[in-house]
Amino acid sequence: MSTIHTVIRTEGLTKTFGPVRALDGLDLEVAPGEVHGFLGPNGAGKSTTIRVVLGLIRASGGHVELFGGDPWRQAATLHEQLAYVAGDVALWPGLTGGQCLDVLGATQGGLDETRRAALIDRFDLDPTKRVRDYSKGNRQKVALIAALAANVDLLVLDEPTSGLDPLMEQAFQEVVRERREEGCTVLLSSHIMDEVEALADRVSIIRRGRTVTTGTLAELRRHTRTHVHAVTVDAPAGLADALGVADYGSERLDGHIDSRFTIDAEHLDAVVGQLHAAQIHTLTVTPPSLDELFLRTYDAEGVPLEGTELGEPEEVRR
Amino acid sequence: MRATGLRAMLGVQWRTHRRSMLVWILALVATLVGTAGAVAGLYTTPEKIHTYAQAVTAGNALAAINGKVEGIDSLGGVIQDESGFLFAFLLPLLGISLVAQVTRREEEAGRLEALLGGRVARHVPVLAGLIGTSVAILVTAIASALGLIAFGVPASRSVLYAASLGALAFVFAGLAALLAQVTLHSRGVYVWSLLVLAVAYLLRGVGDVTNTWVTWLSPLGWAEKAAPFGAMRWWTLLIPLALGGVLATLAVLVAARRDLGSSLVRGGAGSARATAWLRSPLGLATVIHRPAVFGWLAGALVIAGMMGALAQQFVNAVTGNPAMGEAIGMSGAQPEDGFLAITQLYIAIIATGYAVQAVGSLRGEETAGRLEPRLSGTLSRMRWLAVHGLVIVTGLVVIVAVSSVVLAVATAWSMGTATHLGRVVGAGAAYLPAELLVGGLTLAIFGLRPRAFPAGWAAFAVVAFIAFLGPGLKLAGWVLDLAPTTHVGNPPLGTVKAMPLVVLGAIAAVLAVAAAVGFRRRGVPQG
Repeated sequence: MSTIHTVIRTEGLTKTFGPVRALDGLDLEVAPGEVHGFLGPNGAGKSTTIRVVLGLIRASGGHVELFGGDPWRQAATLHEQLAYVAGDVALWPGLTGGQCLDVLGATQGGLDETRRAALIDRFDLDPTKRVRDYSKGNRQKVALIAALAANVDLLVLDEPTSGLDPLMEQAFQEVVRERREEGCTVLLSSHIMDEVEALADRVSIIRRGRTVTTGTLAELRRHTRTHVHAVTVDAPAGLADALGVADYGSERLDGHIDSRFTIDAEHLDAVVGQLHAAQIHTLTVTPPSLDELFLRTYDAEGVPLEGTELGEPEEVRR
Repeated sequence: MRATGLRAMLGVQWRTHRRSMLVWILALVATLVGTAGAVAGLYTTPEKIHTYAQAVTAGNALAAINGKVEGIDSLGGVIQDESGFLFAFLLPLLGISLVAQVTRREEEAGRLEALLGGRVARHVPVLAGLIGTSVAILVTAIASALGLIAFGVPASRSVLYAASLGALAFVFAGLAALLAQVTLHSRGVYVWSLLVLAVAYLLRGVGDVTNTWVTWLSPLGWAEKAAPFGAMRWWTLLIPLALGGVLATLAVLVAARRDLGSSLVRGGAGSARATAWLRSPLGLATVIHRPAVFGWLAGALVIAGMMGALAQQFVNAVTGNPAMGEAIGMSGAQPEDGFLAITQLYIAIIATGYAVQAVGSLRGEETAGRLEPRLSGTLSRMRWLAVHGLVIVTGLVVIVAVSSVVLAVATAWSMGTATHLGRVVGAGAAYLPAELLVGGLTLAIFGLRPRAFPAGWAAFAVVAFIAFLGPGLKLAGWVLDLAPTTHVGNPPLGTVKAMPLVVLGAIAAVLAVAAAVGFRRRGVPQG
């Protein structure tokens, strides 16, 4: 396994449960060393994809590779290199949190003791409490610590921070960054945009069992529109018809000209020049958030804009 | 205390639990009416009934097991005696399980919180649970009474008998409702109420054997003292109804005053580290199956100890009255062996129940979501299944061996002679292939059609019914043959032949292989 170019690769993956088509030609590529954000609304097929990738369920069609191997046939061997946090964390109610940690750790081939102790501290977990007396957040912590303290090359995290408070969420993000620094690959399924935005190098967005778009955050952003809010002394000339400008609105407020519009990233420079000529009073430029990318990917009726680039002009939607 | 949201709560409980409610009612009524039908078909003349009565009252042994039936010299009396053992457990369990599943289990799962956040008062879930359970008990009692009347049992006696059974279930429903308020988990509700039931059974047995007031300390005794086919003491119904009412009222009052999710009894802290043993697949599997082993072993030990202690009385009874041996399905030639054979069959059914429950906890691991993380590590599916299979079989052997030894020792003590330990243990061991077959069947269901798992319990119910009541009710040969226990050969009274055991074992092995193949191919988890 010296030269693997992808840690996880699926091509045209399909999975049917009776009449239900959970995966419908899903493509996913996770490169070594990256944090890959895996986004999609509820029921899009994120957990199903992860289970196929882990060899827990068998694909109905298409191709799936984990560390270059077949996860269905070599599940136990391939699992030596990964740790998994399931979407619904379930632990043995009669055991204590610490015991569950060790049992889960043993399942993954052992935990790094130093890391285990440090993480218990960091996540403020009482390992002597019985699992049946834990809150949802505390059960989540146990599963997270077990995965993050494992000596593995790949972390598969299915909505790992559900139930965590913001403080713990922050601790989680720090630890994931540290693990990536150490060369660990992470597949992070989530629908918390801030978390993905803060962590992910690349993102795949899926919808109804299909990949809608994939790329680095920068790539995704390049094709999307930036919001500009400018207050100028004079009216900026010809801005409404300038190349790449849309959603233009302008009014006079308190003796200044208050303009709002959206702009293609590539035309930003020219437009700022025009604003400058009109004497800028204040200027706010907001790059699109992942929220927006995500919401844009599913328009109002919930139909993905298939075959269209994310950066397609607004007119297409109107 | 206004019962805000009672109607809504009753609706929710009906929609979410009607299936288990209906299954309980149907199973109980079918068992009683089936027994009544078989008895009515078998004891067609007063002479036959008289012979039966003479036989079973000839000693204290059967009174300890089935209870002392007043007016046993009647069709109804025979029915009460035949179903005495089974109903002593089934009716309390009806009350316990119906209440536990709508109260503490719902609270534990967090589903109650959503409802109490709405327009439902805090004490209403337990109140609704008690009302629903009471209705289920009432329906069971009415249907049972009608069934008995249909087979020619006098109407008023049928009604009193059914009412005494219903009142018995009601006491335990009230007890479970109160326990649901003071223990944190539904498991605690079951453990404590089953403990009370075991004590009640022992008290009733001791009282009946010694002919003392001790019987009156047990809810099972109250049902018996109603004497539906004897003196007909209607007033005894007041005791269970009053006690059940008090327990139920207490439960509702506590529920209205306590915090959601709170309890009087709480578990303490534990170790922060898992031992190397617990970390190993074998260790965790042992921890998972340990409660089931202990629970069923305790049941088997109660039976083995009690029967063994009464061995001498049993033997005396049969020696003095060969008809008794006939009535309970054993010949009078070797009374001691006959008695051991019956007890070993009871233990075999208990061991089979354990096997089904143990395989069921594999399914439980899956539906609870604990199998998924387990299989996403370095543990292969086949190894996981093999390790659990090993632990389950070990538990089975432990249950059979320990209870056989206890039976042998208790019998030797009672009879004042040295019983052949080897013979008793050998008889227990002879049932292992039959027990494994039922376990293998449920494992195959788990591997191939996991959602159909309740079918495993249905199979167990059929086997238990045939084994307990089949010989006494003289069911047709092909019906008796359906239960694998029939083919063992009734040791140590009968001779055990190798061939049937080999066939039973082979079928069990085939089922286990089918289970493994199915489990290897299917997706996990299957909800």
